[in-house]
Amino acid sequence: MRPNADSEPQRIMVVRCPPLCGPDASLAEPQAARLFERVIGAVTGFCPSVEATELGVCAFGARGPARYFGGEGVLASKIIAAVAELGVESRVGVADGLFAALLAARRADPVDPVDPVDPAGPADSAGAILVIPPGGTAGFLAAQPVSVLADQDLAGLLKRLGLGTLGDLAALPASDVASRFGDAGEAVHRLARGLDLRPLAAHPPAHDLSVAREFDPPEPLAEPVVFAAKTLAEQLHAGLAARGLTCVRVQVRVTWADGEESSRLWRHDGLLTAGGVADRVRWQLDGRRAAPPDGQHAQGGIGMLRLVPDQVVRATGHQLALWGEAVVSDRVARAAMRVQAMLGHEAVLRPVTGGGRNVSEQVSHVPFGEKREPRLAVGAPWPGRIAGAAPGVVYPAAREAEVTDDAGRLVTVTGRCVLSAAPARLVIGREPPRRITAWAGPWPLSERWWDAAAARRRARFQLATDDGRAWLAVVRDSRWLIEAGYW
Amino acid sequence: MLPALPALRDLLPRGGLARGSVLAVPEFGLLCLALAAGASAAGAWCGIAGVPEAGLAAAVGTGLDVERTLLVPDPGPAWPQVVASLLDGCELVLLRPPVTAPVLLRRRLEAVLRRAGGVLLVAGDWPGAQVHLRVITQRWTGLGDGHGRVRACCAEVTADGRGEASLTRTRWLWLPAEDGGVAVADPVDIPVTRTPPGLRAVSAG
Repeated sequence: MRPNADSEPQRIMVVRCPPLCGPDASLAEPQAARLFERVIGAVTGFCPSVEATELGVCAFGARGPARYFGGEGVLASKIIAAVAELGVESRVGVADGLFAALLAARRADPVDPVDPVDPAGPADSAGAILVIPPGGTAGFLAAQPVSVLADQDLAGLLKRLGLGTLGDLAALPASDVASRFGDAGEAVHRLARGLDLRPLAAHPPAHDLSVAREFDPPEPLAEPVVFAAKTLAEQLHAGLAARGLTCVRVQVRVTWADGEESSRLWRHDGLLTAGGVADRVRWQLDGRRAAPPDGQHAQGGIGMLRLVPDQVVRATGHQLALWGEAVVSDRVARAAMRVQAMLGHEAVLRPVTGGGRNVSEQVSHVPFGEKREPRLAVGAPWPGRIAGAAPGVVYPAAREAEVTDDAGRLVTVTGRCVLSAAPARLVIGREPPRRITAWAGPWPLSERWWDAAAARRRARFQLATDDGRAWLAVVRDSRWLIEAGYW
Repeated sequence: MLPALPALRDLLPRGGLARGSVLAVPEFGLLCLALAAGASAAGAWCGIAGVPEAGLAAAVGTGLDVERTLLVPDPGPAWPQVVASLLDGCELVLLRPPVTAPVLLRRRLEAVLRRAGGVLLVAGDWPGAQVHLRVITQRWTGLGDGHGRVRACCAEVTADGRGEASLTRTRWLWLPAEDGGVAVADPVDIPVTRTPPGLRAVSAG
């Protein structure tokens, strides 16, 4: 049965290479960094997710690997041997938390072996490994002098106050330490009690997990490529699963013999089967046939198919749609993805209503399959937003227009929002002129004046014309633009 | 049969959007969005193709559910395939064809439509459409001479077509009403001042 993560503390293993770090580092930094890369590579062979805590020190969760390799001591010896093959000496510490494990690795010294606090604690014969047994971490930490803390000023102060060991510090109430020493005190108090400041941030390895298949001779038909895609997808899934990973999206790259390439990202989320990936390859090839670039079909057949996992993350099971979000049925998803295959990922959008002062901002569009979040907060008040009816037509790009008065002169707005004359005629682009029957404005809007790039100053109007329609017009830099239409 | 907004039921044969049928409105506008809103509010997925300027805030006011809306703003030259694909997933597709579709293409899409059991709402010309709707007259209220706000629009909408829709029906609607929805206009609200020279019936919807 799987141990409950809450009841059992983490076991952290720290590998420390004295020649690469600390006061007795024997190598210059760039050289040490290169060597340390290779050390991490060696350690990754035992556990895929390793965090490099500092130059020369790396850490990982030891519970799983230790069970696999037959115990923490055995695992540690194997790692030391593997690192020694690179010509680097190393020490290993294991404890119930990162801080204690770091200290244990520092204490593990074959030249000057210290007794583990717990006499039952199995110190390695070589002395290069110090394993603090589960539950023994508090005792181990209590015996450490406060000088092990990174903050030497604070350590000196604690010592002068008569708190010689971490145990003395841990015995004090947390609230008293916090009120006397502030955040720094609270942090070291947590450390002294064996609580880590943060969880281990191990990144998945940067292995190339992509899979590819070359077609020689190039394959002129789609069907065999789709068939090969299924096998490739199985390989891709197996490669990811072997490392406990999954990908958010998968990129399908098809290269034709004449060098043309088609590349599309497909939502994966670890939910697609091999057949599902093959379907997407088929759609991508179909879409290509439906909309060939420049009206030409690629000649010579398909030379290469490559599947690249994008945004590789730990496999933690998948999350269903959050409350309030309509669950997209398979039928709709299939239709949307087929259109995406034809026109591209960004061609199929789902609208999200949000806040904003301008009609064009109030609805944002998110490509199908991505997370829908409004760009501007809905709840904010947005003063200056035009009240009343919403326009049925919102131009993605404002249309050029001209508004003139009775005498045919262009209507202008001064910086203080004074109108030169009442607007009488509206000409939009090359359309015939319309007579303005009613109007309102100007409403000034000066947005984001603090940001020169996004700053906008304009005056807005609503105009009703004799054809029964109404328009939302803005004056910006003395030019009239039509942003939206009401009909 | 897909449901329509209550205010629009009188205009449509049998009070709804018949599955497998094409409805045409000469020009894109709030009327198109209102026709889609009834079905969308009742749970249908709605695809909007070729209309990048669709005012979705207004559409939401009439009842369209953006959670179940797909937009393909620019279907490009492959628009017939895009519409056919959308019809596989959406019960209602609102389309503005970039060009008037040739008769063969229309027949093919109508066949796809009947097979899928959806409704195609065309903002543009579609000679074989079962129902043609358009706004004959409209007038916005709320704007004065330098003051006010656009509030609501009183519109005269007419519908005719083939078969059971061949009888021409005309209704006065608030499109939109002050609350953003669509309502049947009271006879007292209807602008009677049709005589002034400035106000004339226009054919554009």
